[in-house]
Amino acid sequence: METVLADRLQFAFTIMFHYLFPIGTIGLAPFVAAYTWKAARSGDPEDAAAARFWTTIFAVNFAAGVVTGIPMEFQFGTNWAAFSRSSGSVVGQPLAMEGMFAFFLESIFLGALLYGRRGKPTRFMAWAAVMVCLGAWLSGYFIVVTDAWMQHPVGYVAGPNGTYQLSDIWAVVLSSWARWQFAHVFIGALLTGSLIVAGVGAYYLLAKRETALAKRFVRSGTIAAFVFSILAAFPTGDINADDVTKYQPVKLAAMEGLFQSAHGAPLAIIGMPDSKNRTLLDPVYVPGILSYLAYGNFRANVNGLEAYPREFWPPVELTYYAYHVMVGLGTIFGGITALAVLLLVMRRLYSTPLMLWVLMLLVPFPYIANEAGWVVSEVGRQPWIVYGLMRTAAGSSPTVSGGETLFTIIGFAGMYFLLGVLFLTLVLREIGLGPSHPQEVPV
Amino acid sequence: MPTVGYCVIALMLTAYVLLDGFDLGVASIAPFIARNDNERRIAMESIGPFWNGNEVCLIAAGAALFALFPSAYAASFSGFYLPFMVVLWLLMFRGISLELREHLSSDLWHQFWDAAFWASSTLLIVLFGVALGNLIRGVPLDASGYFKGSFSFLLNPYAIAVALLAVCVLGFHGAAFARLRIDGPPAVRAASALTALWWCVAALYVIVSAATLYLRGFDGHWATYACGAIALAALIAMRLALGRSDVAAFAASSLFLIALMGAAAATMYPYILPGYPPGSGGLSIEAAAPSVAAMTTALTVTIGGGIAVFAYGSLVFRRMAGKLRVEDVTQ
Repeated sequence: METVLADRLQFAFTIMFHYLFPIGTIGLAPFVAAYTWKAARSGDPEDAAAARFWTTIFAVNFAAGVVTGIPMEFQFGTNWAAFSRSSGSVVGQPLAMEGMFAFFLESIFLGALLYGRRGKPTRFMAWAAVMVCLGAWLSGYFIVVTDAWMQHPVGYVAGPNGTYQLSDIWAVVLSSWARWQFAHVFIGALLTGSLIVAGVGAYYLLAKRETALAKRFVRSGTIAAFVFSILAAFPTGDINADDVTKYQPVKLAAMEGLFQSAHGAPLAIIGMPDSKNRTLLDPVYVPGILSYLAYGNFRANVNGLEAYPREFWPPVELTYYAYHVMVGLGTIFGGITALAVLLLVMRRLYSTPLMLWVLMLLVPFPYIANEAGWVVSEVGRQPWIVYGLMRTAAGSSPTVSGGETLFTIIGFAGMYFLLGVLFLTLVLREIGLGPSHPQEVPV
Repeated sequence: MPTVGYCVIALMLTAYVLLDGFDLGVASIAPFIARNDNERRIAMESIGPFWNGNEVCLIAAGAALFALFPSAYAASFSGFYLPFMVVLWLLMFRGISLELREHLSSDLWHQFWDAAFWASSTLLIVLFGVALGNLIRGVPLDASGYFKGSFSFLLNPYAIAVALLAVCVLGFHGAAFARLRIDGPPAVRAASALTALWWCVAALYVIVSAATLYLRGFDGHWATYACGAIALAALIAMRLALGRSDVAAFAASSLFLIALMGAAAATMYPYILPGYPPGSGGLSIEAAAPSVAAMTTALTVTIGGGIAVFAYGSLVFRRMAGKLRVEDVTQ
């Protein structure tokens, strides 16, 4: 197998699998902190049960995140040695910051939080939960900073031997691309966390168990999810799209399946791109909207893929479908949670089984939307590993063959299958036992 | 400044060896000090709140190496490709076994995960030992600054001796930690394990020291010999502490590990990736260092962050200190 393709497949597989867990930790962390805080203040056993329950689910997520996160930290060196050598001066910085500022915070205070489960929630545990939450969020920020630099390199100078050397760390850490990308990623994870809380609550209501807590879960989950699904589109999604329009127009064209440049470009709601024949099959268009979304003007010219040399095109089909899946699901989340909030206001949500079923079955879909969003971002960035500076093909390790990587992909697949089954077993078992189940608390 | 960076990396790896060392060590001796289901559960739980945080040291050290010496990170991680992948899988498997053991109350389930926990932890120690041994011995860097470590090259007698030393010394470290955390029969067995392991450590220390001198010659950095002497003193202290004070035994084995890591770092200096055969240069810290801005940033982050982590880490760990008794966890 071609070396770079194998390296890309391995990175894509391991990062997409890994990312399933950070979505959960980033998204659930505020709920853990809020429930623990409330329990520490009220001393109410029901609050304590909620806090313990979500801490346990969080901890399983966290452990799976750590275990699958280590390969990510290693893979820059193992499979992308040429990239690491040329860009490590810059991208190593946010990764080192993540290690020093976020990972320790998260893991040490999570240890304290889990250890403290033996007794009643205390103020110390409430603080520990806040620290865990902070750690999870910071960690996400530094990773987004790393990716943002690869998307939109700033704060560097060209160094010797084809390297890129850091010149201004603040430009890298606080780049506007990083800030808005983080906001979008972060909202996506919070939306997922909210839908998990709502979905678990909906399950308990349908199963006629844990009713009092379940109502709280459904209520806080749906309200939060409604707010976040709006924020996911405006302003965060919108600003991210603006950045892409400005700095990566060819990615925009691929996302929209726009082959020929057009004044008053239409927005394709559905359709199948055919990059070989350079056309969008069976499209359903809304005229002028793409021009408006991109440039705020219904008549503006939007460059199509054909305005760029073929070698600079990202994989069109994948970028297009991933983008449409993300946006489509985001719209559906907005619609469903709006309806759920309406039912809540009408005091009919808890007694509407259909909506509870929908909320329960919705849980996997925000994961798909988050992953699809990353596919748009990263596949759409191709053929660059650092946008405009370094080709992905030039970034892989010279001493590692495609066959070796293929072998390790299979190894990861086996290990992750095991991990995935165990993760689901543990989480479903915890949900099955329920918050009010007296926990066998490890010492 | 690259020297400071080199010291930071060495310190972070030493912290990793000290911290994850005791939990890997407890795992590697668990079958010998814990004889029944409940005791094995205690052995695992004695490291329960710590191992995840300890493992973070490895991730942080990897990231710091990336930021401080990108080309050393690139060459070593890609050069040791398959061994590193095996390390990753073992780390995962070990994490899984720690997380899962208690989730079903079946004896077979427990025994399976106990065995997995022991095997993965012990193999990890062996692999880390082999990696360290090969770093000291040198790797065959080519003109472009990369190398490909084949199994026959990596599994040389020197690296195997270092790996054996690692198994014994971390076994000792783990047993000393177990004495601090666990009461009852496992603690008694840990005491006799400590005596046996001490003799192995002492013998292997002499062998590895002699082999290192033979390999690298006597023209090493003065710090090599200073660290070697401290290690010797710590070795004697480990022996004296046996049967007298558990805290002293753990402290002495910690000092021994620090001195060993110090000696290893001093032997390699000024190369972060010495070449093979010995004396053929290698990737020096000057050559591997990034721009001044990058170096300054990474040093600020690692040193500042390290101090903060140490401060709140010791505060939190202090709240979790104390002994586990067999009775406490019997249901």
